Amino acid sequence: MRFFENQPAVTNAPEGRVEGVAKVTGSGKYAAEYHAGNMCYAVMAGSTIASGTIKSIHTTDARQVAGVLDIITHTRKPLVPGMADAAKIKESRFGLPVFHTDNIYFKGQPIALVIAETLEDATYAASLISAEYTTTEAKVDFDKAHAAVPLNAAGKERGSADAWRDAPYQSEAEYTIEHEVHNPMEMHATIAHWEGPDKLKLYDKNQGVNNVQRTFARLWNIPADNIEVFSEFVGGGFGSGLRVWPHCLAAIMAAKQVNRPVKLVLTRPQMFLLTGYRPKSWQKVRMGADAGGRFTGLLHQARHSTSVYESFNDGITRISRMVYNISNVKTEQATVPLNMSTPTWMRGPGDCSGAFAVECTVDELSYQLKQDPVALRLKNLAITHDPESGKPWSTHYLNECIEKGAALINWQQRKPLPGQDKEGDWAIGYGMATGMWNAGRGNASAGITMQRDGAITVKTAMTDIGTGTGTGIQNIAHEQTGIAKNKIKIELGNSHLPPAPSQGGSTGLSTISGAVAATCNALKQKLAGYAAAQDDTYKNAQAADIVLSDTGISWQTAGNHFIAYTSLFEKNNLTTVEVEASSGPGAERQQYAFCSSAAHFCRVKVHTKTGKVKIDKMVTVADGGSIVNEKAAANQISGAVVGGIGMALMEEQATDQRYGSLIGNDLAGYHFAVNADAPVIEVAFINKPDKNINPSGAKGLGEVGIIGCAAAIVNAIYHATGKRLRSLPVTPDKILLG
Amino acid sequence: MNNFTYTTAGSITAALQHTKRHPQAMYIAGGTNLLDLWKYNLLHPQTLVDLNGVPGYHTIEAKEGGGLQLGALVTNAATAYHPLIEQRYPLLSKAILAGASAQIRNMATNGGNLLQRTRCYYYYDGDVPCNKREPGTGCSAIKGYNRIHAILGASEHCIAVFPSDMCVALAALEAVVQITGQQGKRSIPFADFHRLPGNAPEKDNALQAGDIITSIDLPAKEFAHHYSYLKLRDRHSYAFALVSVATALELEGNEIKEARIALGGVAHKPWRIPEAEQLLQGKPATAESFAQAADKLLEGAQGYPHNQFKIELAKKAIIRNGLMALHPETQLPGAQPSA
Ligand SMILES: Cc1cc2nc3c(=O)[nH]c(=O)nc-3n(C[C@H](O)[C@H](O)[C@H](O)COP(=O)(O)OP(=O)(O)OC[C@H]3O[C@@H](n4cnc5c(N)ncnc54)[C@H](O)[C@@H]3O)c2cc1C
Repeated sequence: MRFFENQPAVTNAPEGRVEGVAKVTGSGKYAAEYHAGNMCYAVMAGSTIASGTIKSIHTTDARQVAGVLDIITHTRKPLVPGMADAAKIKESRFGLPVFHTDNIYFKGQPIALVIAETLEDATYAASLISAEYTTTEAKVDFDKAHAAVPLNAAGKERGSADAWRDAPYQSEAEYTIEHEVHNPMEMHATIAHWEGPDKLKLYDKNQGVNNVQRTFARLWNIPADNIEVFSEFVGGGFGSGLRVWPHCLAAIMAAKQVNRPVKLVLTRPQMFLLTGYRPKSWQKVRMGADAGGRFTGLLHQARHSTSVYESFNDGITRISRMVYNISNVKTEQATVPLNMSTPTWMRGPGDCSGAFAVECTVDELSYQLKQDPVALRLKNLAITHDPESGKPWSTHYLNECIEKGAALINWQQRKPLPGQDKEGDWAIGYGMATGMWNAGRGNASAGITMQRDGAITVKTAMTDIGTGTGTGIQNIAHEQTGIAKNKIKIELGNSHLPPAPSQGGSTGLSTISGAVAATCNALKQKLAGYAAAQDDTYKNAQAADIVLSDTGISWQTAGNHFIAYTSLFEKNNLTTVEVEASSGPGAERQQYAFCSSAAHFCRVKVHTKTGKVKIDKMVTVADGGSIVNEKAAANQISGAVVGGIGMALMEEQATDQRYGSLIGNDLAGYHFAVNADAPVIEVAFINKPDKNINPSGAKGLGEVGIIGCAAAIVNAIYHATGKRLRSLPVTPDKILLG
Repeated sequence: MNNFTYTTAGSITAALQHTKRHPQAMYIAGGTNLLDLWKYNLLHPQTLVDLNGVPGYHTIEAKEGGGLQLGALVTNAATAYHPLIEQRYPLLSKAILAGASAQIRNMATNGGNLLQRTRCYYYYDGDVPCNKREPGTGCSAIKGYNRIHAILGASEHCIAVFPSDMCVALAALEAVVQITGQQGKRSIPFADFHRLPGNAPEKDNALQAGDIITSIDLPAKEFAHHYSYLKLRDRHSYAFALVSVATALELEGNEIKEARIALGGVAHKPWRIPEAEQLLQGKPATAESFAQAADKLLEGAQGYPHNQFKIELAKKAIIRNGLMALHPETQLPGAQPSA
């Protein structure tokens, strides 16, 4: 099997993840795997039209199915106080007011919820539900609708369009990207259990338990503390778990209605419809350069789809304002309401779409200018200051990423002109592109419980959606305390643990690392307090004075004034030591701008006779500050690159323009990259700490792995074939006819 | 998915009796297609007759005088990896392995593969018109999103394609389908087994109600030296073909003695045109010769807004696959273009 000929050399396998054993043995539970006593099942039935109103819903046949307990519709439902009337619904900003309206906004919108003793009963009964509608004309054709929507300024214009009107080198073109769907492996699911009239327990798949908790505290008008949300194991999110979706409310309503715990698991087709997607987009980019190859102007316009019941803005042109030094920049955006469900953030949201258009434009200019794409970018990077805010970047090593990536893919082998490199009917091409992402940080809390043997458990409400957050926390706690990793346990994904924001936007580790460092310091201080009773040296100790080990506490250097934990616990009559601390961004945000970045390189083979594209090699070099855990970090990047391959070559959720229905909405019909589509992906890091962003020096890596990736691939296809393809995905037909 | 009665058949006779008594009954073999369609609420069998326990159809046997008999209940995986198939009918092995996924091929049976339904999106969407699903309601694909649809042999009632890979090779190899029905046994040559949609697209093939496929027979001609299966698709594996080609050649030097070419992904059945194959007889095995055959095979092809590209793609695939058939040893895995 030639697929497996290039065995990567594995020397010294890096250490695994904290949750690894639980995941592979099945002892770690995903939301739908929990069980509550007396639990029943709910299944949603959807509208068969895309636009109109419900006249009547027929539930008689469904009610006759044995095991059916009740059926919720907009006319039969428990009172949700936060949705009691139209004004409250609007104020709730929940999105789709599921079962609270007779309006139909998209095809498949849930109109009824069957609650039954078994999943099978509920599924069958749901298939028997029908409705009559007053149908109105549905608007689902983005290509037709978008041109009529006026663009609005996105950010303040820099310089003026006049200043570069006559730039000697210019590229102007339109780009489109199809609607893409996250499709994490694990289905979205909720188990809702009212343990008392105002006490709610939820097992739910999401990226932020406190967000879910807050949302339902408001909607049900109960204290947040009365709601406990568990999301201990999350089988991927990619942004689809950042919002609280209608099915979650549906499960809670069902549990209220029948006064029993209810489990609701989305079907795979529902996953395409009810948990967001990357909106379909149109972009126009005009860019100019002077004779020396300095960029002089950029006009970036973008429109993307949204729903008719709320507006989601992806921020596609943001990337144009941060990567290069350009004196004249104008960015404009608009959203296009369609009879579709609401899109949401999907890995590298906005920037990923924007980078495709801008980085292809830069590539095109490089050929016009006859300058190497690598050199052209290096010349124009805004490497010292954020061009938008004018603030210095705290750290920014995109130039080093580019140089390192070029070396790793052997960029010097690339022939300067397109279409020069052939192996039989396979044309070979090299392409590259860059990606950037604003590196954020939020406020979070973490706690530690220490046992008398020195073992600690670090706790936070933050979820780990497969990003390696738990493993990162363990590494940071080990570094901060000196306690061996095998004595550090991690607990996360529960709303009753110290609060933390959602895991998203590449902020997870950056945010939580501060809280973990703070709580490690709090532990040192607390232990020093107890130690002071035994040894005066420890009086008024600062955290920096304290050295911990697996067995005890020391003063300033290991072993100095050593006191064993057992002794501390005994003398102070302790069973455990508990601390909790919070941390968040501060004045550094006024002083600096923060970013992560990546350079993507691709060598591609294109079969000129059949349009088949094979990615021969991908190299991605990322600057994410300190790399807290190399294996998890590399996982993030290679996973994102596989997403980028899908975006470039195959991901497309087509919609029927007459019915508004999604086409091929299952894992056989919607193509994302499989192993055979992914080559050996070489990942490397700059691994220099950003000392200003947070105590760990890590800047976040979830997004940059995909931002710019599709452009690198499409640029390589151009270099191989001379065909400039501007509509994603680049399927074989586009190569053949392009 | 409705409630149903499940029964296992211990013999072909017993199975036939069940379907005679329960006209709403359906057979199940691997279940990889039936269960999907059922869960999508497109089929509602009241009685399920499980064929897997019927003895006698689980093996691959050499026939006297050449040829093989493939039991209907042998899995696709077991067939593809069977030494007799790998050595003597490698074209069939390659075609099967280009289909579905390893897991699905482990469940799917040879009989079931012939009877899998189309992947037309509109057939799968119970809310919209489809003549194949509900005769007389209309075809949603003709004016809809028709990227994966037919360019050959379609009708105004249906432009769906038959999605099997295995069957493209079986068509090229001129297999024969063995059937036992309420009226006894009969056999149908592969070319006559699947049908074009015409004005009855609800009928995919020549089977009558209750008919059971018992085996698929391969004739003595093996084409073990010059063959190739090329599958062009939107991703490298686990995707149905946009266009696929099975080519089998008998050569004398570089001269073609006999040629078989079947296309998949382009019509309501595996597409063969005997004249195209005759054109190649006595011709050198070159791109020019295959191009002539390609033109003949695609004669009368009609594209729709989203699948126009398939006409050009099919022609190029036929030429490419003809050349690939000359050197099976240089073929890359995954039924992709080599060289
Ligand atoms: C996600 C997915 C991807 C796929 N991709 C491909 C692909 O790329 N290429 C490809 O070729 N195929 C593909 N397939 C289809 C797969 O090959 C078929 O589903 C399989 O061959 C069907 O065989 P089965 O035994 O499971 O049939 P079943 O599902 O058991 O039966 C199918 C039909 O045949 C009837 N039946 C079964 N056996 C007999 C018999 N002996 N006599 C009479 N009637 C019978 C059943 O009643 C039913 O109507 C894919 C399937 C899936 C689910």
